[in-house]
Amino acid sequence: MDLSLIIKLVVAALMIGSVYSALGMSYSLIYKASGLMNLAMGNFLMLGAYVGLTFYSILGLNIGLSFVLTFIVMFIFGIIVQRYLIDSLLKKGAAFSYIILLTAALGLAMENSAILIWTPYTLYFPAIFNTASVEIAGAHVAPENLLVLGIAVFSCVGLFIFLNKTKFGTAMRASAQDQVAAGALGINVGLTKDVTWGLASSLAGVIGMALGPVYGVYSTMGAMIAQKAFAGSVTGGYGNIIGAVVGGVFYGFLETFVSAFITTTYKDVISFTVLIIILVISPTGLFKEKVIE
Amino acid sequence: MMKMKIKNHLSSVIFWAVLAVTLLLFAQKNYYAFIIALFGVYAIVATALDVLFGYTGQISLGHAGLFAIGSYVTALLSLKLSVPTAIALILGAVAATVVGALIAIPASKLVKHFLSLLMIAFGQIVYLIINSWSKVTGGSLGLMNIPKLNLFGFKFDSYIKIAILIWLVLALLLVVKVRIINSRVGSAFIALRENSVAAKGLGINIKKYKVMAFAISAFMTGLAGGLYTYVRGFISPETFNGTQSTLFMTMLLFGGICTVEGPVIGAVVLLLVKEVFQSLALYQGLVYALFMLIVLFFLPNGVVGIFKSMGGVVAKLKKKNKKEGQVNAEN
Repeated sequence: MDLSLIIKLVVAALMIGSVYSALGMSYSLIYKASGLMNLAMGNFLMLGAYVGLTFYSILGLNIGLSFVLTFIVMFIFGIIVQRYLIDSLLKKGAAFSYIILLTAALGLAMENSAILIWTPYTLYFPAIFNTASVEIAGAHVAPENLLVLGIAVFSCVGLFIFLNKTKFGTAMRASAQDQVAAGALGINVGLTKDVTWGLASSLAGVIGMALGPVYGVYSTMGAMIAQKAFAGSVTGGYGNIIGAVVGGVFYGFLETFVSAFITTTYKDVISFTVLIIILVISPTGLFKEKVIE
Repeated sequence: MMKMKIKNHLSSVIFWAVLAVTLLLFAQKNYYAFIIALFGVYAIVATALDVLFGYTGQISLGHAGLFAIGSYVTALLSLKLSVPTAIALILGAVAATVVGALIAIPASKLVKHFLSLLMIAFGQIVYLIINSWSKVTGGSLGLMNIPKLNLFGFKFDSYIKIAILIWLVLALLLVVKVRIINSRVGSAFIALRENSVAAKGLGINIKKYKVMAFAISAFMTGLAGGLYTYVRGFISPETFNGTQSTLFMTMLLFGGICTVEGPVIGAVVLLLVKEVFQSLALYQGLVYALFMLIVLFFLPNGVVGIFKSMGGVVAKLKKKNKKEGQVNAEN
């Protein structure tokens, strides 16, 4: 076996796996904060990519600034979705399944709006770095792939520290566990919900933007990624942040090595079959989160 | 009370008669007959989804997968194995039922998000397989030249013939649905939708009824898939993608869950929208999404709900008038 091939595969697996992990964290974040599920997460990722493309390529801003602005725009978008869609439907006393459908409808609306705004064609995201590839132990890897990996890892670590080591993160976890009790202790539950959705949205958006140069930007770019990320967070234990990371990396490796050595046509079939098997034999995932009725 | 019941029946009989006559008038033209046949197919799917989601509370965003199984099994049996078309249709529905029941067994113990995830994953697997397994399913090109449905020597060779057949099947399935819902099984479905813990406490076998709801829904959906195959004479994977599952759900919610007419109205309206926006394919998804959002925020009981509440207002007014009349008479 060629060592450089293995290194290349590992880097590819880590890249896509870290993307699944970061997006899986977004799912877990929302689940932890409100017990809800967001089927539009892939579309958040797609929107982030388009917004980033607009700042970087169309308006010609500097790459760092584009990332920051994308983060801010997506943060605000997440808050708007939470306040004016999710929360207002919940206040009408909607059942849980209706929130799932709401996010599905939102995703459909976002996907089609993106087509109307940015055309139905795949847009080319210009390369961020001057060099076409960097060498790691004899294997050539595109620097953009490493950027994706870096941003995903950075986001995962940052989010973990934010949730566990800061006062606001503790407040968020508290209101996720018991809204009434948290409110009684003086925690602004509305604000923590806003921040949760904002963070989940901007996390997905920034990852989407980083993926732009790798895959190009198109309206359904997030669909498959989001489903795998969701699969990853379920495999790890839904709602468990570390579980989401482990699960995401697991699917990254599964997919990359299956397509390298077994089949490219059926790689997604295999991933989803593994997910179904895991849902059947161990729905609590690796980290034993409670999901059974 | 008795009179009330008859009146209710009368109004729904009138509704169905008017619908049937209007459709038949339109069906004179071939294209309209084709659309009306499709209305019927989608109405069956929406009805199937109502049994599962409306009454039993089990969300499914993977029904396109079951629809695809019915459709492809029917098509492959009649096209490649030359099985008699009517038997192929039934076998397609049976295949969907078996698969539906098989997913339901593990799914029956999962909470809502996981159930919907499982169904999404299932829908994706079916879609990916029919898209990639070119040798059998024709891949992304699909299957062509599927023979016409032939029932006891009667060939359904025009759109109008098959449209009438489909609407008869729909009527039959609606009767079956009402009978199921009004039976003990139906009560069990509703009990586990409302409170599965309490239902369990009352000795209802949750798993059994969830699997049953899944199987009934899958059978109807598979049958609709087979009928779809015979209407079109051509199938390709794009009909069975994830958006289609969302569309099915939108049809059901827009029409109104837990009613007989609701899923039918929802299917007809959303398919009409699809036809109207045919040339503006870009707006189609946006329109579906808007329909769904309108229903979620403003019409919790769907279109049927509006009529029901209008009926309620009329009844109130009548009562009021009657009361006032009495007061006047007393004076």
